[in-house]
Amino acid sequence: MEGKKALCVNAVINLSDSTVDLVETPENIIRKFIGGRGLNMYYLYKYLKPQADPLSPDNVLILGTGLLTGTLSPNSGRHNVTCKSPESGIIGDANIGGFLGPEMRFAGIDRLIILGKAEKPVYLYIEDGNIEIRDAKDYWGLLCSETEARFKYNLGSDVEVQSIGPAGENLVRFACTRYGAKNAAGRTGTGAVWGSKNLKAVVVRGTRGLPVEDPQGMIDKYIELRDYLQESKVIKVLGRVGTPLLYDVSNYLGAIRTHNSQQTVFFDSLNAEEVHKHVDKMLGCYGCVVHCRHRNTHGGEGPEYTTEVLLGANIGVADTGRMIDLNNIVNDLGLDVSSTGTYIAWAIELFEKGYLTEESAGRILRFGDYNMARQLIFDIAYRRGLGDILAEGSKLVEKFGPETADFLIAIKGLPQSDPHDVRYLKGFALGIATSSRGADHLRSRPTLEILDLPASLTTQIYGEPVDPNPTSYQSKSRVVYFSETIYAVVDCMGICKFICHGFNSPRNLNYDHFRELTKLATGLDFSKEDLHNAGRLVIDQERLINYREKGITRKDDTLPARYFDEPMPSARAKGSHINREQFEMMLDEYYELCGWDQEGILPRERIDQLDQLKDLTE
Amino acid sequence: MKLTLKQKQIYSRPDLCIGCRICANACALVHEGEANPRLGRINIRQNLFERYEYQELCRHCDDPPCLDACMVGCIEKDQETGIVTNDDRCVGCWMCVMVCPYGSMKRNLKEQVAVKCDQCRDRNRPVCVEVCPTGALVFEERED
Repeated sequence: MEGKKALCVNAVINLSDSTVDLVETPENIIRKFIGGRGLNMYYLYKYLKPQADPLSPDNVLILGTGLLTGTLSPNSGRHNVTCKSPESGIIGDANIGGFLGPEMRFAGIDRLIILGKAEKPVYLYIEDGNIEIRDAKDYWGLLCSETEARFKYNLGSDVEVQSIGPAGENLVRFACTRYGAKNAAGRTGTGAVWGSKNLKAVVVRGTRGLPVEDPQGMIDKYIELRDYLQESKVIKVLGRVGTPLLYDVSNYLGAIRTHNSQQTVFFDSLNAEEVHKHVDKMLGCYGCVVHCRHRNTHGGEGPEYTTEVLLGANIGVADTGRMIDLNNIVNDLGLDVSSTGTYIAWAIELFEKGYLTEESAGRILRFGDYNMARQLIFDIAYRRGLGDILAEGSKLVEKFGPETADFLIAIKGLPQSDPHDVRYLKGFALGIATSSRGADHLRSRPTLEILDLPASLTTQIYGEPVDPNPTSYQSKSRVVYFSETIYAVVDCMGICKFICHGFNSPRNLNYDHFRELTKLATGLDFSKEDLHNAGRLVIDQERLINYREKGITRKDDTLPARYFDEPMPSARAKGSHINREQFEMMLDEYYELCGWDQEGILPRERIDQLDQLKDLTE
Repeated sequence: MKLTLKQKQIYSRPDLCIGCRICANACALVHEGEANPRLGRINIRQNLFERYEYQELCRHCDDPPCLDACMVGCIEKDQETGIVTNDDRCVGCWMCVMVCPYGSMKRNLKEQVAVKCDQCRDRNRPVCVEVCPTGALVFEERED
């Protein structure tokens, strides 16, 4: 190594005037925000002009690796893509696996902060600390898979590529950015922001490597944690069949989002067993000990549980092969699968209710029509006809009327990602209502509430006992508060949530493990409290940005009206819905835990603290 | 020169390889003290679109082409253990890289020297075998 590499090197790239500056993040800021999602939020707050149009050059696009990304920590292949979301108008943030994050760190760059807009299509080429803005005319218009294959052909098979597909180029508000055949920074329309900046791809080759404070200690710790994690039943099953394992759980409960949540039970044809007949091999991302990613027999990768429900049950497609076909198409076009599936289902219900007609939609929309859905997905990505309209996403509520929001399964302008209908699980409902990026399970999913854990164990995990009844509203705010904090920390570390304490299992990696790993990898000493505080600071920061950009307060921490007013129709969950008063009670408790006022606004001194921190860096 | 040494070898099972590069990264940590899969003596070849992944690793050949090709004579095969190693006399001419039929001589471009597997002589088992999360690498003696 040429001297000791700084802990965090950020490249500030202005595409408007083609300049690149390298700035280091000082250690005192790393101690507060750690890295990954945390430092991304810090820099978003610092660089984003208030009220900027998300698709204008004023938006700020940040790719930031975690503090442990690229080290030998288990599952340390992740980074976050952050901007202001063109879909929701609040923070846009998506976490992605694959190999690009580690490669950036091996190239000596921990974070890209991309400003302005290029005059014509460009891509960023990063090699060992050098960053070039290059012409992308040979790549513009290509599908994600074609883009990556052509880059590897032209620049060498060892480069790592993250790119947008036609959806991002055409500014579809829920376009994603993609690595490989399936990994996606999927949510909140980050791909459209790339498109608006004329940025087709980020291509990285890193040969410098990453210093590790204690290499031998790191290897020993990795082996210890791998063995510990692989004893977990959930990790074993995830490695065998991937996330579709959850399909049966939700389906038998009567809580699978079906026909735009008008129904809650669907065919067995999408369960893990059936999906697995279409799987060649399971794969892992960088440093993965789980390997939950399917290489399917239809030429792509996936499907995840999210995909099989949102492009299956939710739009009525029951044929496993056809659902996987839709999955592959959405991936290659560069669309967010959660939003795409939700909007198509919503459009079908709009059609049923007369907001769309055969004339205005150019076709008949009905549940279960695979060919219609397939065509519509292409039309969305290339903005043709009805697809051009749907590409505007949740903004369409303004066009069709505010009452149509009642059956759009979205919160704060972002469709729900998790295929689980949350009317049964109350903590889960609170989680997606308060999540900082909209209706999303990856911010705070309180998975353990379904496990009926004894009070002794919940006290150990959450600090006080939690009502083991999944349908109870009592003490659930505590679970959400705990989950969102540790998930924020794991996002800052650059580690996959599948091995994070509380996401799938009450064991897995907790604050103590992160402390040990951070010490071995970087030499930095964090206490458990430091990490917890960092998680809270990140959530406060996100809340503050949301408040500044769109005035997000208590009124926005809510659920689609369908979840309040329509009882679930089937199976064990039959009759469940969210009681408005009880929901408000959960919100009260949640705000109290967060230390926010009853409107969900940060107290003045915390806003001042974040403003002071903002001014501490150059 | 034909040897009939009984030698434990690292064998790969590509069907079990998930492409995580943990083996290469751990190898670099042991030998170079940094996280850098490119400097791992083992390498994962993967193409997600052509749908393959496999491990490139040194076979410690009976009659190693790298040894014959090395012009400074810095590659040798231990007559007792059968392990083929190189030393710091390497001048980075890359002849060994070119002749290896298995693609398992690597270039350390920072130091301009060739690097190769030494089966982790200082450890009980090669680290790549130890860290593989799926058992896609095994260290055993086989009848060829």
